[in-house]
Order: sequence, then C-alpha cells, then structure tokens
Amino acid sequence: MKKIFEYASKNLLSTAILIVAAFFLFLPLIGATEFSLRDGGPDKHSFISYKWIFEQSGFKENLGITFQVTALAVILNLLIMVPTVTWLHISGQRYRRLVEVVTILPLIIPVVALATGAQTALPSFLHNTVLELSFMYVVIAMPYSYRALDIGMSGKPLNTYVAAARNLGASWYKVLVSVIIPSIWPSVLAALFLTVALSLGEFTLAQLLHWTTFPTWVANVSQENILGATALSVGSLFFAWLLLFSFTLFGSNATDSSKDEA
Amino acid sequence: MTSTSLLVKGLGRQFGAVLALDDFSIEVPKGELISLLGPSGCGKTTALRIIAGLEKSDTGEVHLNQKNITNVSAHLRNMGMVFQAYSLFPHLNVSENVAFGLRMRRISKSDRTKRVNEILELVGLNHHHKRFAHQLSGGQQQRVALARALVIEPEVLLLDEPLSALDAQVRTNLREEIRRLQIELGTTTLFVTHDQEEAMAISDRVGVMNQGRLEQIDTPDTLYNKPANDFVASFVGTMNHLPANLDNGTVELFGKKFPTQKSGNESGKVVALIRPESIQVTFNETLANAVVLTRSFLGANSRLSCRTDDGTIVHTLMNNEASYSLHPGEKVKLEITSREVMVTNV
Repeated sequence: MKKIFEYASKNLLSTAILIVAAFFLFLPLIGATEFSLRDGGPDKHSFISYKWIFEQSGFKENLGITFQVTALAVILNLLIMVPTVTWLHISGQRYRRLVEVVTILPLIIPVVALATGAQTALPSFLHNTVLELSFMYVVIAMPYSYRALDIGMSGKPLNTYVAAARNLGASWYKVLVSVIIPSIWPSVLAALFLTVALSLGEFTLAQLLHWTTFPTWVANVSQENILGATALSVGSLFFAWLLLFSFTLFGSNATDSSKDEA
Repeated sequence: MTSTSLLVKGLGRQFGAVLALDDFSIEVPKGELISLLGPSGCGKTTALRIIAGLEKSDTGEVHLNQKNITNVSAHLRNMGMVFQAYSLFPHLNVSENVAFGLRMRRISKSDRTKRVNEILELVGLNHHHKRFAHQLSGGQQQRVALARALVIEPEVLLLDEPLSALDAQVRTNLREEIRRLQIELGTTTLFVTHDQEEAMAISDRVGVMNQGRLEQIDTPDTLYNKPANDFVASFVGTMNHLPANLDNGTVELFGKKFPTQKSGNESGKVVALIRPESIQVTFNETLANAVVLTRSFLGANSRLSCRTDDGTIVHTLMNNEASYSLHPGEKVKLEITSREVMVTNV
C-alpha cells in the first residue's frame, strides 16, 4: 500500500489519468447496479428485478445453449489453434505472414457476410446443431486466440524444447501436452478467456443464424422491462467476471499442481 | 572386443542450393567418444540431428547396434542429446526435467526418483532438485541437460556444442566432467564442436569436417602430426604457410633443404606447412632473416610473430626464458627444426 502511494506521488500525471479512466469505467457500472436494484422508486431497493429474470421463460434453456456453444467453441478453438501455431513456430515459419493475414479476416469481413457464408458453406449435417454456431465462434475468436498464442510462443526456444522432448522419447502428442502447452500456459489461458468472453456475449451471428442464445434472449426479454433489462446486463457482466476469475484461479492451480508431480 | 554401436553410411542432405552433408559416413565403436570438428556451416550439427532423427536425410542410412534405424521416429531411438541452447523445460524443476525421459518410458515413480537422485549426484547437483531453469547458472543448466540425457541410459549420447554458451573456465571444467562421466558410464558419444581445443582434449578420435564432408577422422595426435590435407592441417592447431619452391620433391626453407611428402620428380611453386613449435628463433644480427613484430605471453610459453625478408608473417612458439630478450623490431634468425615438411600446391 505504501509503495502504491509512493508511486502515485512520483507519477502524478499517470495517476490522474488512471483515476479519470477508473471513474469512467466504474461510475456507469455503479449507476447501473443501483438502478437495477430499485424497487418502485429511487428510495427503495430490492432484488425484485433480479428475481424477475429467473421468472422469465427460456432463461435456463438459453443459458444452457450458450454454455454448450461456448464450451464447444473453446475446445474446438484450442484443438485447432494450439497445434497450428506450434507448427507455424517450429517448422512453418514461412507461412506465418499468410496465417497472420488470414486470422485478421474475421475482423474485416462483415458479420452478415460470415453468417451467409456459414449457411451456404457449412456441411448440411451441421446446420441447426450447436456446432454450427460453435464453428462460427471459433472463426471470430481466431484473431484473438491466434495472437495470444503467437505472443506466448514468440521468444521461447520452442524448437529446442521440441527437439529435447522428442529426443527424450515424447511422441508428438506428448510434446504438445507435456511440453508446449505447459510452457505457454498463460497464453493458452488468455486464448481460452478471449474465446469464452466472445462466445458468451455474441449477439449478431446468433441472431442472423436464427439461434436463440442467452444474449439474443436477453435482447428480447429486456424490451418489456427496463429495470429487468438493466438487472440482466449487470448480472451477466458480474457472472462473466466471476467465470473468468474462476478460470484464472483454476489455471494457476493447474500449473502449480503440474509442478508437484515428477 | 569393441563392437560398432553407431554406423552412419553415406548421409547426404541439401538445403536449397547448399549441400549441408555430402556422402557423410562414420563408425562409432561402443564406449568411444568421437568429436565432429569443423567451422560453422560445415554440416556437423545437421549430421547429429539426422542421427538423432530430428531431421531427415536425402540419402544414406543410420544403423544402431546392427539395426537400420533410418526411418525410426526420433522418440523411439533411445539417444540422449544435449543442445547448444539451454533446453530445460521452463515449467519443470530440475528433478522433473531429469525425470521427463523416464516418465515418457513409463518408469515407476519410485524407480524414477532413485535414478534421478543417482544421476544428479553424479553431475554434482544433488542440492538443486527443486530449482527451476531460471534459478540456475548456464553451467548448471547444461549439467542438468546432461543428466537428463544420461538418465535414460541412451545407446548413444549426442552432444551438440553443449559448452559453446558457457564462460571459459566453466567450459573447461564441464568438458573434463563430460569425459569423466562418459568413461565412467561407458556411453558411446558423438560430440559436435567448432572448438578444436575442446575436441582434441576429450576425444578418443576427432573427425574434421568441411563443407559437408568428413575430411579425416583420427586420434588427436595423428590429426595434429599427420594431417591428411591442407584443410585439416590449417584447422587443427596453428599452422604457418610459407611459400617455397619444390625442387625434385624437396623444398628449401631459411637456407636448408627438407624432404616433403611429394615424390622425387615433382617441382613447382608450393606452400610449406610448418607448426609454430617447429620453428626455432635465435637472436642473430648477422645471419638474421626476420624481424620480430610482437610477442604474446601465453603463460607456459610465448608466441612470437616475425616478418621474414620476403614479407611472410611467421608465428612461432617458444619457452618464456628464450623469448624474454626478443623485443619487437629486433632481428632474428629463424630455423626449422622438423625433419620433414608438408607442402601443398598453391
């Protein structure tokens, strides 16, 4: 604490900027939270609007769908991206430029085009299954997860690690699981967080592909009740934070426990 | 009787326009330490990586204990390797790093612990089990890497310039230790280095490589005293190149005639190859044929650089007492003390 004050007194300008930024971030949040707790007027507060959320039909079903889509998107994303980026770093260097450009595309292509593309290009057995949306979320999360993994691997002597592990008797699968992933674990977590955050909040693609997910459901329901809508946004925000926070905890525990076994 | 452990036949490897390996063959008998010595880019590391299975060769075969393993995957070859770059896995501590190969072989935990302890004791790191790579010095990291490669009891130990990144003193200590361990454990070893002193110091035999070819493979003594060609002669140890005229198989140097390895009827311009220690320097103003340029103190002896009358720079090696009185600018007489001289064509 003392250190923080020392730092703040030395760097007045940056501290001031930080305080202003924090003000802009937290004030609306505090306001929204207060508003969502109102019960009939500005003087009386209760959880009535939150209770209202759970009473709406489709709450559980749509949250369930969103969880499924998210989980599948995360798994698919890591399954595709971790081996790909590893390969790019150990023997596919000359394709790195190309892949970098390709992974930027989902940010440039309008979502409408992506949705239309998905409907025409995805094999028919995927239509109307959760996989359809998960696939598209893998695509739109690609710019973020690629960069997270790329940063983690850059500057690490991956080639040497791979050669050492292969030489010590590790199959390619073992190389990935026992050497590459643990040594870039923070990046893997970052890729996971970004995909989770994106999948939990995605609205446009879900709407365009005629899925009702949690975000589209929220948009529908909140048109009837302004207090309820605020409660929903505040609630889902805190929920997402809680989720990401627990992932972080789980993530750091996982690396700690991997250190115990020898 | 020693039997051949590793046999490499006719390896060839091309990278684009560069021929990294050209018909490279070598036989490593069981328990022997052979060094591959050569300038950077001569293909020595490529050869090692092909033997380890980390790279493919265009042509040629690798045999281990009479079995063709050319197409066997790297992780099934049971060879230990130590790399030039620090290669310890950053998320594992010392004992976990060493245990990695044993874990891949599904050795039981109690066996693993026992063998890891033994090998760490052997490399002198029994108090560092729980440390991580970033908490160790470069020398310690390479010791751990060595332990990690040895604990799996490899058929062949492959060392790819493991000492290059270390300080001079650590380097000398560790190379002696590698040799001690290698003899103690009887591990067949192939050691790649560009440092000739290193290669000569610890090897049973040294293979000198140049442009993807093995130029000569011999004991350090033979390599130094009877180099097969000009490249080996110049690469191993210091060598003076003195221009001379070949006359019926003999050359005249500093007023004396010497027989050469050339046959009696050959003549023409050649270059004589003379070791610094085969040149005697005496202070002699009247018979002088050279001028002292510099004297470098090397500890046990001194190196003297002189310029001869025809402008050639000659390096000599002499004991300190004899060289004390020889200052830059002084006129000296150079004499060759060896009986025979090796020459190469210009």
